[in-house]
Amino acid sequence: MNVTTIAAAEWAERAEKLHSEGWQVLDLHGLDRLRLTPSEPRFEVVVQLLNQERKERQTVHVVAGGDPPSVPSVTTVWPTTNFMERETYDLYGITFEGHPNLTRILMPDEWEGHPLRKDYGVGKVPVEFIPQPIMQIDSPGQTPGSGTTSVQRDRLGQVLVEGDSP
Amino acid sequence: MSTTEITSTKLVSELEERGQGAFVETFDEQEGRMVINMGPVHPSTHGVLRLMLVLDGETVIECLPVIGYLHTGIEKECEDNNWRGAVTAVTRMDYLANFFNEQAYSLAVESLLGIEIPPRAKYIRTLLAEMNRLSSHLVWWGTQGLDMGAMSAMFYAFRERELFLDFYEMVTGLRMNHGFIIPGGVWEDLPLGWERAVRNITNLMPKRIDEYERLLTTNPIFLERTKGIGAISAQDARDLGATGPIARATGIDWDLRRDMPYEAYGDVSFSVPIAPEGDVYARYRVRIAEMRESVRIIEQIAGKMPKGDFRHQDPKLVHPPRREMAHSMEAVIHHFKLSTQGYTVPPGETYVAVESPRGELGAYVVSDGGTSPYKCHVRDPSFVNLQSLAKMVEGGLLADLIASIASTDPIMGGVDR
Repeated sequence: MNVTTIAAAEWAERAEKLHSEGWQVLDLHGLDRLRLTPSEPRFEVVVQLLNQERKERQTVHVVAGGDPPSVPSVTTVWPTTNFMERETYDLYGITFEGHPNLTRILMPDEWEGHPLRKDYGVGKVPVEFIPQPIMQIDSPGQTPGSGTTSVQRDRLGQVLVEGDSP
Repeated sequence: MSTTEITSTKLVSELEERGQGAFVETFDEQEGRMVINMGPVHPSTHGVLRLMLVLDGETVIECLPVIGYLHTGIEKECEDNNWRGAVTAVTRMDYLANFFNEQAYSLAVESLLGIEIPPRAKYIRTLLAEMNRLSSHLVWWGTQGLDMGAMSAMFYAFRERELFLDFYEMVTGLRMNHGFIIPGGVWEDLPLGWERAVRNITNLMPKRIDEYERLLTTNPIFLERTKGIGAISAQDARDLGATGPIARATGIDWDLRRDMPYEAYGDVSFSVPIAPEGDVYARYRVRIAEMRESVRIIEQIAGKMPKGDFRHQDPKLVHPPRREMAHSMEAVIHHFKLSTQGYTVPPGETYVAVESPRGELGAYVVSDGGTSPYKCHVRDPSFVNLQSLAKMVEGGLLADLIASIASTDPIMGGVDR
């Protein structure tokens, strides 16, 4: 397999060149090298290309640096990468500069974290709920707000901040 | 630079304000435009596909697929299974073409292992894959007819599909989600009497395909609803990454089975049907012709089936036969090691693609030298082909949208994975 690794800055120019040579993108996805050797740079965008005339394939790894990791979008060169870049953003948190609609595609909008990252714990999130306002019910005999403890919870019910209410 | 734009500006800005999953339904009185949601629960969307549509009367102005309702994190699940166990996960992706998922994944693992599987294993895999192409196309044919108002098409297609499911049950023990093709070969040899079962199917299918053609191919209502509908050009198909019958129906002469042969496809002769029009009817003709070619391939494969091992004989890689475990200590040790821990695969990465009924199905597998895949990504053709749907339907009538969805043949299990 023909594999090359390039920096994110070279990607836009390289994409134009590959496109003019007749290469078409068949797949574009992320790779988290956290537990691979070498583990740096951590995030890469892996592009699978096919040339139908030459009957050849090649793979290009684009190094995604920065926080959040980012690479230029190639949707203007290959429109097919639209969904693929959204999927990579969704599952790896790699952003694509210049993408027309970089939103989550497989996970729900309000999801936190990027599931295919290697440090994303499996089973960390028990159940998925749409956030609901938490009702504060005061116990009888108490005036509202006096002596009750206000608890700030995140959308999964885990306690974020505990403290006396004002 | 390409000319195709697939950005739906109006819907995108609406969704940016209210979130991707927002249930947007509006009616702009001045422009007379309406935003409606089709799906995710709609009989003709073939699963949980949701389409956000901007309509002007009955004309579709914009179409934006919203997906993810069936996302089950199969790629993540693979990372927690061992190399053999991940087959059980990947087979559930495209649930009408199970064997292709297993095949792509197994070929990728074999290429990392650097092993060559026995010829009989290759032939069994090819046989099952072509059977699967037929049974998958039968579901497409039935639903295409059903969506066009020809309800009996569904009955005919599912009658024959039963033959294939029975054959899978005979060979693998299951009707779907087989987990039968494994890295190193196949799980079991073909059962006694398989030739007869295959012969039954190959004798019957050409007649039945003639019957299908008599039902729909020249049916005036069907022609009216499919000819010239949902057309895309070859350039659009290439830009939008469409593969398989959608691309071949625009005149792109490309089939992985012929152009980059794998398994036993190098040993059989078949032709690759193409059609130049790019509309729904062209896709219909291509798929019908593909069904006939698949029957031809099955006949040749069954006639040439070599004798010998049905899987790789490395005891560190595949389970020992049951009978050996009764008297061989070594076999018991190997069985224990394989069942509890699995085997390791040398570090590396690979991308292997097969021609599934919907197009190029690729598996990208990375190993870190451990007993489970470090990463297993599947390029599912349904996911990519869905992008060309917007191009097919924009500017057409709402009723024609149904024809286009059916001819795209998306399987949501594969789209959302």
